[in-house]
Amino acid sequence: MKRLSDLLRSLPALLALAVFAAPAAAGDGDSGLRPDIPEPLRGDSCVEETEDMRRNHMDYLKGHRDQVMHQGIRTKKYSLKECLGCHVPTEDEARRAGRSEGEHFCQNCHEYAGVELDCFQCHNTRPQEPRLPHPLTPRNRQTMQDAGNPATAELLNKLADSDKNETGVAQ
Amino acid sequence: MSDDKQPDLARREFLQGSAGAAAGLAVAPGVMLYGPAASAKPIDEAASSEVRWGMLIDANKCASDCDACVRACNTEHGLGDEDQSGPRQQTQYIRKVELRNKATGASHSLPMMCQHCETPPCADVCPTGASFKRADGIVLVDRHICIGCRYCMMACPYKARSFVHESLEDQEPYTPRGKGCVESCTLCVHRIDLGGIPACAEACGAEGNGAILFGDLNDPNSAIAQAVAEQATTEVRADLGLNVGVRYQGI
Repeated sequence: MKRLSDLLRSLPALLALAVFAAPAAAGDGDSGLRPDIPEPLRGDSCVEETEDMRRNHMDYLKGHRDQVMHQGIRTKKYSLKECLGCHVPTEDEARRAGRSEGEHFCQNCHEYAGVELDCFQCHNTRPQEPRLPHPLTPRNRQTMQDAGNPATAELLNKLADSDKNETGVAQ
Repeated sequence: MSDDKQPDLARREFLQGSAGAAAGLAVAPGVMLYGPAASAKPIDEAASSEVRWGMLIDANKCASDCDACVRACNTEHGLGDEDQSGPRQQTQYIRKVELRNKATGASHSLPMMCQHCETPPCADVCPTGASFKRADGIVLVDRHICIGCRYCMMACPYKARSFVHESLEDQEPYTPRGKGCVESCTLCVHRIDLGGIPACAEACGAEGNGAILFGDLNDPNSAIAQAVAEQATTEVRADLGLNVGVRYQGI
């Protein structure tokens, strides 16, 4: 009896869901089925190839977090703060761009994928101030190489070494 | 046996004497290292056990009506925004304590925070390894693995730890905080790693009375190591033998 009454109580909600969700899904192709992921604000590529990041970002983040927490290795390459710096607008920027409160690069995709995201129970969801693009994105690296300045090349070698050690690089 | 020992002792004394002379020479030209004697480690290098960060707090300089350190700490770490928690639950990384000797009536004010023990009881009792001591002596909580059991709060003789009772938003970027985790003074590890000094020490020097001296206890040339070597300093609850990193004068 109890179960039946529960079902009846939730019936209006279920009906409403069916009525409103159906046209959205059927409307314009499969757009309703894809996650709504905001475009990054700055930078033209990520610190690794997109395919790599899609599959492995959690491992990069976790490795980096343990290094920072326990050893104090505060490199920036795989830092969550740096992710947010490019992918999430500051409050001011969001307001100016007319972006809604709910739009969040990480959260939107995780919601869609049904993967619980614990980072933001403690970490701030937004960067506090706008950041410059990451210097180690492949395209920026190429630009630096093309510049051909000896000082730049020296810096680049240094950065590349750190890169090989997988410790990331200081900005 | 005693014949064998004699030359060794003499040699040791000689070495100690010459080391002392060398240290004296280094100081003699009037080059004094104040405040951040800390040299920033390279950003991609791990914290070293050759360093031991510590503080020396002079209670004689600390005024009862000054809370610059507490305010600076709260601002730095974004504390004090727990509106669902009572005053006894709200997080304190550092607090001002008034001491009064009942017999003499003498009264002192001093800041009290995590003492960054060499053998931290919080880390001993932590069932998950979330409480730990970094190589350079800073005691931290890894919130990623803290389950919020609060054993460490029971174990800490200094009542230095707090528990977050409610969901929080808009945390400071270097101090992620959230419901269900224990937290405490980090000695502003995010500043130290970049060559800075803790916010409380900075504020005490700038707007307080300069009662907090921060530095590397292992570096014989640092102001704090010299002060600790020359003057009488006290550990709070020295009877526990924890060899704390935060020492006091004038209590």
